[in-house]
Amino acid sequence: MFDAEKFIDEAIASVREKTKGKAIIACSGGVDSSVSAVIAGRAIGDRLLAVFVDTGLMRKGEAAEVEEMFRDTGINFKSVDASKEYFEVLKGVTDPEQKRKVIGEKFIRIFEREAKEFGAKYLVQGTIAPDWIESGDGVRDIIKSHHNVGGLPKDMDMMLVEPLRDLYKDEVRQVARKLGIKSSERQPFPGPGLAVRCLAEITPDNVAVVREACFIVEDEIRKAAEAGKMKVPWQYFAVLLPTRSVGVQGDRRAYGRVIAVRAVDSIDGMTAAHSDIPLSVLNAISQRITSKMKNEVNRVVYDITDKPPATIEWE
Amino acid sequence: MKVYIIDNGGQWTHREWRVLRDMADARIVRNDTPPGDLADADALVLSGGAPSVASDAGRMGRNSDYLEMDVPIFGICAGMQFLSEHFGGTLGPGDDPEYGAVELTITSHDDIFKGMPDAIEVWASHNDEVKTVPDGFDVTASSVRCKAEAVRCRDRPIFGVQFHPEVENTQYGPEMFRNFLEIASRHRNG
Repeated sequence: MFDAEKFIDEAIASVREKTKGKAIIACSGGVDSSVSAVIAGRAIGDRLLAVFVDTGLMRKGEAAEVEEMFRDTGINFKSVDASKEYFEVLKGVTDPEQKRKVIGEKFIRIFEREAKEFGAKYLVQGTIAPDWIESGDGVRDIIKSHHNVGGLPKDMDMMLVEPLRDLYKDEVRQVARKLGIKSSERQPFPGPGLAVRCLAEITPDNVAVVREACFIVEDEIRKAAEAGKMKVPWQYFAVLLPTRSVGVQGDRRAYGRVIAVRAVDSIDGMTAAHSDIPLSVLNAISQRITSKMKNEVNRVVYDITDKPPATIEWE
Repeated sequence: MKVYIIDNGGQWTHREWRVLRDMADARIVRNDTPPGDLADADALVLSGGAPSVASDAGRMGRNSDYLEMDVPIFGICAGMQFLSEHFGGTLGPGDDPEYGAVELTITSHDDIFKGMPDAIEVWASHNDEVKTVPDGFDVTASSVRCKAEAVRCRDRPIFGVQFHPEVENTQYGPEMFRNFLEIASRHRNG
């Protein structure tokens, strides 16, 4: 069985050995990068700087939450607001692979900038096994380019340190619990953020729609779980579809957006089954989205495919 | 016990390693590794992969060489398809491909499925399937949509499954690997 304690000791030793000099770590606030940050922090202490990039594609309140979490760890921390840059490079990009590449490249350019300023030659990342498996290689098909692997530009001039490369999410969570990390039970959130949940053009307005819908899905599911109506799924969110549908709102014709709700149960993210959410909970989600967001959304659908044949996120 | 997992590019090759590493000294190797480098193997696992074995066998590297080695072999998905064709069976696209949950009906509990009930849920993900099993092979499990879900060679310890015992959703997955390793351990000790 996986031994979290032993893993932590070995990972700290290995990061210490590999990292000669200063390093920065790419932090999203998720469990993978937070665990990597704490491990790297224990390995090299003050030679580490944690950098959080606000891409403008984060969930509601996320940037503030991450900052607070890092304040508690005592690791050097810096937050970079890059939302303008991201919306700029994503203009007109709709192909999902292109999207991931553009975002991955931008991440690296920002980290290179920050690394230079801090004098770091190493980039620590919270890459886990599914990231590189799904990103493809010589023998494996590309399923999706995870921004921290397949999205990396070839001419990157930092050395990568990836202490969690052979782990899956359930193991990372075990390590996180051992390390007392707050985000240990946080649901997975993809590196490219809301960009892969916005199948319409990526504009600040469209991202705001999917952000609010994601918040409502999370909030309703949290309430339902607290009331004992269901257990919290592995991952649950909203997707803005690139289509419109006809509706009727108070005797007036509507022609609005469509939100797909997705919720899955999984252990490691490599297979997943759609969650059996009670219809009353789905109904509460649908009603809240279509009334609070009536100017944008007039239809909500629930995605009932498993992985395979689908993937968890839509892109 | 030394087990090499031949990587045919499957999404779940690393999962096979993850399950096996708790039971044996397991290593993932490329599927063009010279068989001589695997001389200390006690068992081999042929992983699944994206290539259609029927039409794209070039991407299956040296799998046919590995099948000549005198060790127990467990072929998974594309690995099972490859070994079936190698020994004279035929492959083709499934009429009704399986992705996700499949109800497996086990018809032989002698080896890989030892100690398991007759019906269990397994997860699959395949476009092609084994249409006719090679001479000297038996079908040991099937599903409604795929007749050859598992095969076994009568003369040699060679096994194949079309589904994926390494994924979390497959019931009794680790037990299947454990049964395979038990066979390998008996084989090693003669």
